[in-house]
Amino acid sequence: MRQIKFFLFIIIISILASCYSVRLRNENGAQQPDPFSNRDDYYRGMHVIEIDTVIDMKLTSGDFTYLIKENDSCESGKLNIIEYRNTFGSVLLSAITFGRKRKVKIKYVCEKSQN
Amino acid sequence: MANTKSKLLSEWDTLHNNGPFTVKLLYQTKLEGERLMPKKIDRYNDAAIEIQRLINETRQAGEGFRAYGSAWSLSNIASHKDRMHYNGSMNISIPIQDTDCHQNCSFDHTNLFMFQCGNTIKEISETLAENGKSLKTSGASNGQTIAGCISTGVHGAGLDIGSVQDYVVGLNLIVGPNSDDIIYIEPESKPALHDNFIQSLNSRIIRNDDLFYAALVSLGSFGFIHGVVIEAEPVFLIKRYVKKINKQLAFELANTMDFKNSAFKIPEETDAQGNGKRPFHYKIFINQYSDDPNCIIELMYKKPYRESYPDPFPIIKESIYRDLIHLFVKIAENFPKSIPWLVKRLRNTILPEVNEETTGMLKEIFWDAPYQGPAFACSFGIDHKHSEKAMNLLGKLTRDEGPIPGIFALRFVKQTKATIGFTKFPITCMIEIDGVLWKKTRKIMSLEEYNRRMIEVLKENDIPFTIHWGKNSDWEFPGLVKHMYGNKAEEWMTQRENLLSSEMQTLFSNKFLNTIGLNALIV
Repeated sequence: MRQIKFFLFIIIISILASCYSVRLRNENGAQQPDPFSNRDDYYRGMHVIEIDTVIDMKLTSGDFTYLIKENDSCESGKLNIIEYRNTFGSVLLSAITFGRKRKVKIKYVCEKSQN
Repeated sequence: MANTKSKLLSEWDTLHNNGPFTVKLLYQTKLEGERLMPKKIDRYNDAAIEIQRLINETRQAGEGFRAYGSAWSLSNIASHKDRMHYNGSMNISIPIQDTDCHQNCSFDHTNLFMFQCGNTIKEISETLAENGKSLKTSGASNGQTIAGCISTGVHGAGLDIGSVQDYVVGLNLIVGPNSDDIIYIEPESKPALHDNFIQSLNSRIIRNDDLFYAALVSLGSFGFIHGVVIEAEPVFLIKRYVKKINKQLAFELANTMDFKNSAFKIPEETDAQGNGKRPFHYKIFINQYSDDPNCIIELMYKKPYRESYPDPFPIIKESIYRDLIHLFVKIAENFPKSIPWLVKRLRNTILPEVNEETTGMLKEIFWDAPYQGPAFACSFGIDHKHSEKAMNLLGKLTRDEGPIPGIFALRFVKQTKATIGFTKFPITCMIEIDGVLWKKTRKIMSLEEYNRRMIEVLKENDIPFTIHWGKNSDWEFPGLVKHMYGNKAEEWMTQRENLLSSEMQTLFSNKFLNTIGLNALIV
């Protein structure tokens, strides 16, 4: 029983430790603002786009590129901040599907348009 | 056409959570796209028409209107209970050409730029850098909009430079909904722009020193600041030093500003005779809970720009857990006596590293703010000759009647010409305490009470002072503005009455203005 508890404890710690975020931010440029946003975190007052999806890959595809489109949510079509989250579940999903399903969990903020 | 989004709200808050304050409607105006309206001047004038439409809409509803930018002010100066307008998306920049200058213009036109209200200091600095220019000074960070900076008197620590408003050479204001309500003001004694250029902004020209200097620090109450013409300078580098020196010596420098004959010298920053050079920036950090005879100072010296210099930025910027700050506040509220201990534990986060040396452009040295959570800041302007006395008094108050979760810093700024600019002394020492917001408990007084006591202590000890318009204070303190500015406050109100109709004075007034007694209609 004690061994099972220890084993479960190690698994939980591994899962927690494998979940982390990495944020990349431009040294230059301002973020696209959103004065109507209610966020109270790092992204306060910024127009944040969140993507939480699973990409289905073809057997013949080695990697994929997610295109940031120029639209109302990203007026400049240029990135200023991007944060991706790595989770134990996403690694596991990719592993058991041999890389065909890839979890994408990112937040990004575009550059404020220059005038 | 520029378009405006609006949203019905019940409350609005500052970046540092100093509210919430009530509001009914929030506007955000976005410029017409470049593809449909390629000329900047057309987009700029198009935005002016849209702002006038909003002013008219507000007027017809019998309500008030207040523009704001990055919401960095810590008081309710940027808020209005009726309608607020977010300016941040209005960020056109226009370099001034030789032909755009007035015949008596004494400025080098390559240093003149017009920025629309919503340009942040960071955006302006980047635009200027692309043109080989730099701002003369900025605040400690770069997120404020230009209109917000000058409305509240944002300053750095430029001993011989002044505050942001001090390099403004002209203002383009929208003071009502009618065609002649778009005006351009510049001092008659120092004209910058040619009449033809001003007319291309569909603006009425007013050249008047008294009106210009009153409108310079306007508290957001001289109409809608649409554009600001500034004087930049050729790009330069700053060499920044952090030193630990004896407090007595630090205050001797503060009181005398005599860097030449001081015992404190940085070997690399001496002249041919071995005397200390005068720095561009001088700042003293004081942990009022520490009995260390030494303190940390920060000095910066201007250097000619060169292409290669060490990268002033780290690759990785870590920030403290927000939950840790929340825990700090909870402990401080319930066990105030632990505050000095907590401040000591956090000193590496709060204070710069001793013997740190950095080189960078102004925009790199005063980069993005690291912490944007709940915060307070109380900042008094005093004559630099009183800096040691004021620091001792405010430090004692903070220890004896606190403790309060923050530490002090002193910065030194050249005198402003703005009628109610708080850097009014020949060299103003801005003595400020910054920290995390707390709630009053049985064991710790409120921020309002602390602010009141600071005002009382300075008054009791006959130290003339001003208060930073964008920071926390007991703005309801009786006779506060009269005490700080004397007749200048009345001059400011007179100029406002000359510029705005009664209806527009009401529309552009808010609770802050009424509280401090600068709304002539209700005085």
